[in-house]
Amino acid sequence: MILFRWHAVASWTWDAQDETCGICRMAFDGCCPDCKLPGDDCPLIWGACNHAFHLHCILKWVNSQTPQAHCPMCRREWQFKG
Amino acid sequence: MEESTSLVCNLGILEKLNDNSIQEIIKSYGGFCTTTESLLNGAGDLSVGPEFVLHVHSLCKHGLQSLVCDHFLLSLEQAFEKIGVTNFWRHFDSYSKVGVLQKNNSSIYDDEVQLVLCKALEEMALEKQYQEKCLFMLVHALQLHKESMFEGKQNADSERAHLFAKYQLMVSSVLMASLPLHFPDILHRYFKGKLEELSRIMDGDLEGKNEFQDKDSMDLDEKGKHRTGEMDIDESYNHGKFSEKNKLVKHIGKVVRDLRSLGFTSMTENAYASAIFSLLKAKVHNLAGEDYRNSVLESIKGWIKVVPLQFLNALLAYLGDSIGYDTPSSGLKSPLASHLSSCSSEIDTPSEGLIRWQLRLEYFAYETLQDLRIAKLFEIIVDYPESSPAIEDLKQCLEYTGQHSKLVESFISALKYRLLTAGASTNDILHQYVSTIKALRTIDPTGVFLEAVGEPIRDYLRGRKDTIKCIVTMLTDGTGGNPNGSANTGDSLLEELNRDEENQEIAGIDDDFNSDDKQAWINAACWEPDPVEADPLKGSRNRRKVDILGMIVSIIGSKDQLVNEYRVMLAEKLLNKSDYDIDSEIRTLELLKIHFGESSMQKCEIMLNDLIDSKRTNTNIKLTAAKQSQTGAELGEDAVSLDILDATIISSNFWPPMQIWHLWHVLEAQGASRHHSMWFPEFQDEALIVPEPVDKLFSDYAKRFNEIKTPRKLLWKKNLGTVKLELQFDDRTTLYTVAPLHAAIIMQFQEQKSWTSKNLAAAVGVPEDVLNRRINFWISKGILSESVGTDSNDHIYTLVEGMVDSSKNGGNSGSCEELLVGDDEGESTVASVEDQIRNEMTVYEKFILGMLTNFGSMALDRIHNTLKMFCVADPPYDKSLQQLQSFLSGLVSEEKLELRDGMYFLKK
Ligand SMILES: [Zn+2]
Ligand SMILES: [Zn+2]
Ligand SMILES: [Zn+2]
Repeated sequence: MILFRWHAVASWTWDAQDETCGICRMAFDGCCPDCKLPGDDCPLIWGACNHAFHLHCILKWVNSQTPQAHCPMCRREWQFKG
Repeated sequence: MEESTSLVCNLGILEKLNDNSIQEIIKSYGGFCTTTESLLNGAGDLSVGPEFVLHVHSLCKHGLQSLVCDHFLLSLEQAFEKIGVTNFWRHFDSYSKVGVLQKNNSSIYDDEVQLVLCKALEEMALEKQYQEKCLFMLVHALQLHKESMFEGKQNADSERAHLFAKYQLMVSSVLMASLPLHFPDILHRYFKGKLEELSRIMDGDLEGKNEFQDKDSMDLDEKGKHRTGEMDIDESYNHGKFSEKNKLVKHIGKVVRDLRSLGFTSMTENAYASAIFSLLKAKVHNLAGEDYRNSVLESIKGWIKVVPLQFLNALLAYLGDSIGYDTPSSGLKSPLASHLSSCSSEIDTPSEGLIRWQLRLEYFAYETLQDLRIAKLFEIIVDYPESSPAIEDLKQCLEYTGQHSKLVESFISALKYRLLTAGASTNDILHQYVSTIKALRTIDPTGVFLEAVGEPIRDYLRGRKDTIKCIVTMLTDGTGGNPNGSANTGDSLLEELNRDEENQEIAGIDDDFNSDDKQAWINAACWEPDPVEADPLKGSRNRRKVDILGMIVSIIGSKDQLVNEYRVMLAEKLLNKSDYDIDSEIRTLELLKIHFGESSMQKCEIMLNDLIDSKRTNTNIKLTAAKQSQTGAELGEDAVSLDILDATIISSNFWPPMQIWHLWHVLEAQGASRHHSMWFPEFQDEALIVPEPVDKLFSDYAKRFNEIKTPRKLLWKKNLGTVKLELQFDDRTTLYTVAPLHAAIIMQFQEQKSWTSKNLAAAVGVPEDVLNRRINFWISKGILSESVGTDSNDHIYTLVEGMVDSSKNGGNSGSCEELLVGDDEGESTVASVEDQIRNEMTVYEKFILGMLTNFGSMALDRIHNTLKMFCVADPPYDKSLQQLQSFLSGLVSEEKLELRDGMYFLKK
């Protein structure tokens, strides 16, 4: 028996602890309200506090919170995870 | 008796009489009676004429003129009754039996009728002619008397007219009083026969004429002389036929005139009118036939001009002034000579009567053709677009008659009888529906009647389960859709609609090209759809276009349902691909976006994008693997190269839920209720156990994915996808393309030639019943055999060694390919929309049962409203009333519920 080709199916996931983004309430494996395509085009970003958000969501959030932004989930000072 | 009345009338004269006068009167009266008798009766003796004139003169002298006239007319009447009438009707005695005329339809019989009628009319004419001669004699005598009395002509014409009118009236009333019932039929037969003869001459003539024109078409001068007016047919006539036709018309004209002179004017007209109409009807039937690929309306109209109108024209011209009865002898002078030459000029300016005839005949022809076409409309539409000439004809007919409602009624009943039956496939019904729309929009550009005709089809289709699926296939699939193999194979309906629209737009631009741009803009801005009652006959340039796609979507109800179904079908198609080629799907998506809007197609777009991304990622992963093996990382002996593994990596949130037969079975076996969350795609994959080397590839692939796309991870859906493998036997090799489960099963037999179903099921990770069902694929190919084990519940599967191939391809000793697209048992990878909804509904089952326990019974909308009120979270109730109803009827059929008088109860 010779196996020629196995065309398999998989799904991808960001593997975040939560299912949805705490800012936009959309699924992490979906995309933020501003994006049309999930995945590379709408990435996740983790904070130093280990909370994850859509990159686009947290950027908007951070820009609105001057001078210092806090994590919307744990209220700690927001810092991007290194 | 007559004498006494006459005498009473002439009492004044009586007083002046003396004996001499009385003697003279008696003598003259006796002579007058005798000569009258000799003139009118028996052989008819004209030699007594002079004597007769003398006696009349003498009686008139005594003022007995009216007595003379009355007596003479009475004698004429008696003679006419005795000889003329009896002899005339005797000719037709043999046709008096009821039905004789109807039964004998042969033309020989027609000829006989013609001969008999002509002979009878001829005899009658002679008889009448003789009697008129006698009447002339009387008139002459009366005139002589007047001249002698008043010296000079005195108003003799009115006297004569009066007498002849009385005579004519007598003739008509005597004939009418004795008319046999079947005489009108005889007249009809006569005219029918003659018209058919004329039609034959003209048909031959038309052909002759065409040849003639073809031959001369080079001769421009000659051609220039040909008139293109409507009724110039006579001008290019070939003269042999012309005279033949003329002879015939002359003959018919004579018969008509004879009949008229006997007072049968209206009966004759009715007879030739009905003959013309029945001939026209036959002609329409004959020309129309069952061929819908040619227009026949023009040839019918042409025939009307050439045969019946020519006939009527010639007949009216021939009869000319002779219609009046005051100058019976002038009829014999025949106006034919003068009319012959003026014939064509009269045709150029047809009389009002002739125009009325033309309108009557054309209306009749339109109506006849229309009825014929309406009766066959179903077949015509099956043939569409090849049958568009017939549709165009029908359109013109309906514009003329306005009987659109006839079409609607007739076509609807044909649809119900022919199409909307259990035997017709949903595809056939849909294609006929689309053809109906295409065909009828020519007839009915505003779609008013189309709406009525389409309704029963839509209603019927709504009752079929596969309707949505067939619609989506028809719209998007260019290969499988059309069973009739229309001209544009390989074209989806959507493609076709799009092309139509582009063409219309181009045409629209052309239309507006010359008009003032500003005005065009204003028009466009004020455009409003026509009102529903829009007059379909009104041809406005801004008229509403029939929206084929809209009419198709209206079968389903909403475009969302259609889009959703498409998504399910697209998912299934994409997941069964063994490559990443999605060109045709991209094209279809573009078309769908045009029609349904970009946002509706968002998820489908992501699905296609996943395929594009997967292809790129797959290539990248292969590249990293190739680099590594070059840098020296050795693979084990039995390791399989990563090259053979390709993956489609999906963004599962945007794909429809997958069918998860194994998990479902497992959970059900454990008595778990089907919970909503298990339909999230993450739960549906791992159960299938793939062979160890493949599983290693899976981990390797996933690891590399994670390296490239950190922090994203891969979750395998091992039961999905396609596997190509080759089975090698002593004498041959066969290539199979199968589902992963089939591959996993057969690969287990490499190490171990025989398996019990229990062990094999555990080895591949599926429930035993699933295994037993799916393994049939290999058994049917003759690769595996099945036997009963020690435990009768356990099956034993064994690899067939050096077996004879039982499949159809067995004859080939080389390698052949078994292609298995999707699943062999009709289990689709992706849950159908219906299943999806049903499964989402099961969440509410407990709740519904609980409600009914408390309330006893509830109506559908009460259940609906209660669910809406209480199920607001996890998952919120968002189903439609119809979806709830179909779910409840499922519970009824599972005997959990009962439905009585619109109320649902718990089944006790
Ligand atoms: Zn977000
Ligand atoms: Zn985004
Ligand atoms: Zn945080």
